[in-house]
Amino acid sequence: MDLFYFPHLAPDRATTHIALFRNVKNAAELRKRIIAAATTEGEAGDAAREEVNFAFIDARLITSRLHLQTAVYQSLLAEAQNGLRTRTVHSEVLWNLNPTNNITEAIRRYGVSDATTSLLVVRIDGGNIPVEEMQSRIQKVVEGELTPLSKLREITDWTTIKKYHKLASELSVKAAQGDLEKETAVIDNIVTIDQDQSLLRDAFQSIVDLNWKAISLSKLCVSTSNNLGTIVQ
Amino acid sequence: MAGIILPTSFIMPGRLKKPTPLKNPERPYIALGLEGSANKLGAGVIKHSEDGTATVLSNVRHTYITPPGEGFQPRDTALHHREWALKVINDSLAKANCEVSRCSCRLIGPGMGAPLQSVALVARTLSLLYNKPLVGVNHCVGHIEMGREITGASNPVVLYVSGGNTQVIAYSRQCYRIFGETLDIAVGNCLDRFARVINLSNDPSPGYNIELEAKRGKRLVSLPYATKGMDISLSGILTSVEAYTIDKRFRSDGQPRDENDTDIITPADLCFSLQETVFAMLVEITERAMAHIGSKEVLIVGGVGCNERLQEMMGIMAQERNGQVFATDERFCIDNGIMIAQAGLLAFRMGQTTPLAKTSCTQRFRTDQVHVAWRA
Amino acid sequence: MIRQKVYKTSLASLHPSLVASGNTENKDDSPILIKYRFSKGYRHKTLDTTLTKARVAGEARALIRCLRAGVNVPGVRMVDAAEGVLGIEWIDGKSVRRLLPGGAEEEDEGVDETLDDIEDVDHLQEFDISVGEYYQMMGLIGTEIAKMHLVDIIHGDLTTSNMMMRRTASGKPDLVLIDFGLSYQSSLVEDKAVDLYVLERAFASTHPDSEPMFQSVLDAYQTQTGKEWNAIKKRLDDGECTSSVQR
Repeated sequence: MDLFYFPHLAPDRATTHIALFRNVKNAAELRKRIIAAATTEGEAGDAAREEVNFAFIDARLITSRLHLQTAVYQSLLAEAQNGLRTRTVHSEVLWNLNPTNNITEAIRRYGVSDATTSLLVVRIDGGNIPVEEMQSRIQKVVEGELTPLSKLREITDWTTIKKYHKLASELSVKAAQGDLEKETAVIDNIVTIDQDQSLLRDAFQSIVDLNWKAISLSKLCVSTSNNLGTIVQ
Repeated sequence: MAGIILPTSFIMPGRLKKPTPLKNPERPYIALGLEGSANKLGAGVIKHSEDGTATVLSNVRHTYITPPGEGFQPRDTALHHREWALKVINDSLAKANCEVSRCSCRLIGPGMGAPLQSVALVARTLSLLYNKPLVGVNHCVGHIEMGREITGASNPVVLYVSGGNTQVIAYSRQCYRIFGETLDIAVGNCLDRFARVINLSNDPSPGYNIELEAKRGKRLVSLPYATKGMDISLSGILTSVEAYTIDKRFRSDGQPRDENDTDIITPADLCFSLQETVFAMLVEITERAMAHIGSKEVLIVGGVGCNERLQEMMGIMAQERNGQVFATDERFCIDNGIMIAQAGLLAFRMGQTTPLAKTSCTQRFRTDQVHVAWRA
Repeated sequence: MIRQKVYKTSLASLHPSLVASGNTENKDDSPILIKYRFSKGYRHKTLDTTLTKARVAGEARALIRCLRAGVNVPGVRMVDAAEGVLGIEWIDGKSVRRLLPGGAEEEDEGVDETLDDIEDVDHLQEFDISVGEYYQMMGLIGTEIAKMHLVDIIHGDLTTSNMMMRRTASGKPDLVLIDFGLSYQSSLVEDKAVDLYVLERAFASTHPDSEPMFQSVLDAYQTQTGKEWNAIKKRLDDGECTSSVQR
């Protein structure tokens, strides 16, 4: 189990739990369960949804801790500004990972599929749930070998990532050919934020309708610039 | 006749860092300035006293006004200037209560050839007739010097906006350097041409009528915003705003067809949008120049500088930077003779005169080619 | 850039519950640089919002395009176009301006910004290249600009302040182009020539006797650019671009 902490965000959004699993056994069953939870109505549906209230991400497609962090952060920003393009902040993470604007494609590529064996489970919340409790909740739905996030690099599938991000013919990747370490560093730096749509999102969104309950980083820059960081220029 | 007598005396600011090379005159100097670079014919008389102060003795102007939808043609404007030259000069001298000027200063500078030449002819004749020295003045430098004189701004970034020019200028080492400018048409030209498209009157000026119209505008239509570093481009905006006049939502009378006709664009909306967009660009490049040279003062000169919305926007920008904006009213913003007199007299006091043989006009005399000897 | 504040911070940090336990395996403290574009009070609100958004997104897009083309630029870390915030990779290095003779003198730009890093003149030796190898650095500059121009990105504000030298993991010096706030996309020879002309002016005004150095920038640029060079050089020699740039 691992934690992300975003100090600039509202307390109820600042903590993210992450669990990395290898050798996942129940991917097909898990996928059915997620679909069923989404369609069940009433109290039973709420309970079923809470049980799978996570982002399930194909770990092969994540290049680094930072890669996942930026996707989570962009999703939190979208949520704070009432700008979610998908139904929940968790599905928004999948959408933010995908380099195109297509929601179905994002879920198909980055979500859990029947063939998934390496899985990242992400839960955004206020950090009130202790890590142990969160871990047992996650392990109730995922059967696999819990692995430290630092092992992510052993799982990453660079070939598929290059394909999804259309990187194979890019000069940056070509120049690094033959030097695996350099090539992966270059790819990691590009995919961290590699989406035209997340940059364009706000152009489609109505501007005025901002939700200030969750504070966005920029507001914080103004109000507490001294605490936030050093003004360098 | 738009002549106004200004008996008030304006005092030069004394807070220059380096000592100014300009010495107080040993005797009072009086200069007559003649201006005729576009459709305004101006004559003004200024006096520089021994204590270094300057006094505007008269400032007379006559504008060649064309019917709505028409611009002024060089040939007709030149005719107008020839017709009115004597009347305007006599008027100016009478109001200044002086007979023959000490030094007659005449404009050379960017502008239309034909009208300029008619005024230059008058200036040469006066110079020969009364044996008075003649000083050629760059139109833009005239604007800047008059603006500094009137407002007391010591070292401002200058936004020069008129029918023929759009430049951001700052002083550096005895030269007014152009930091940014329009890459195509001038802002006044852009506004005037749009005024013609929607048939606004040319009286008193198309730009003024755009300003009035814009006050009633409510809807901001999307127009291109074209800044490139410290330069701007305006022709694309003019094309776009013109395109809205053939949009099916455009109502040329500004009225909805019935009560359900709410999604409409009125001429006022277009004037409003045009001003908001173009002025925002101008303020932005001015701000960039201020940051670049570290100045906190901004001076707006030129005909478009009369626009109160532009002045207001510039004021907000200056305030946000803890700076100050200086602007003049229509007497000095719009082309006038007095500014030529002021800049010419400054040059004359530094020993600059223009020999008669070289008193031809040039339309391509750039601001940064002038040697500003009178500043430190 | 003006009316834009820059902060150093990090996207995430160690979770408070882990601070006490002393678990510092994942510190999450890699610094990022936040560029915040203020809203401008003089501008109509709708116009201002649209413009800020477009500019933040435009800067991010230019950076991504450069990254993909292998130009050394900071990676993008967060984009909040609605609020005018862009977070990019923190480049730990020294500005080329400070590494060149004359560059450590008073900055002529950003006079009204707080500059609290008053450092001594930095020495090129820190980067394992001797003073005699200034030319190597010039070569890196020319190469990076050429790579950027090859994908039709125009920087718009090329000065020696907007380039940094940093050391890569392998210890090799690396030149990074920064501040894409005025950048735009264009394939016009004219725009590329103007970009180079602006840099030439910046060299001349900041670093005395820098003509031979600038020539080696152009040499490297030529090598990298290939067949497009002749057209750009022609424009540069014509001085055509001087009319549109009057800095």
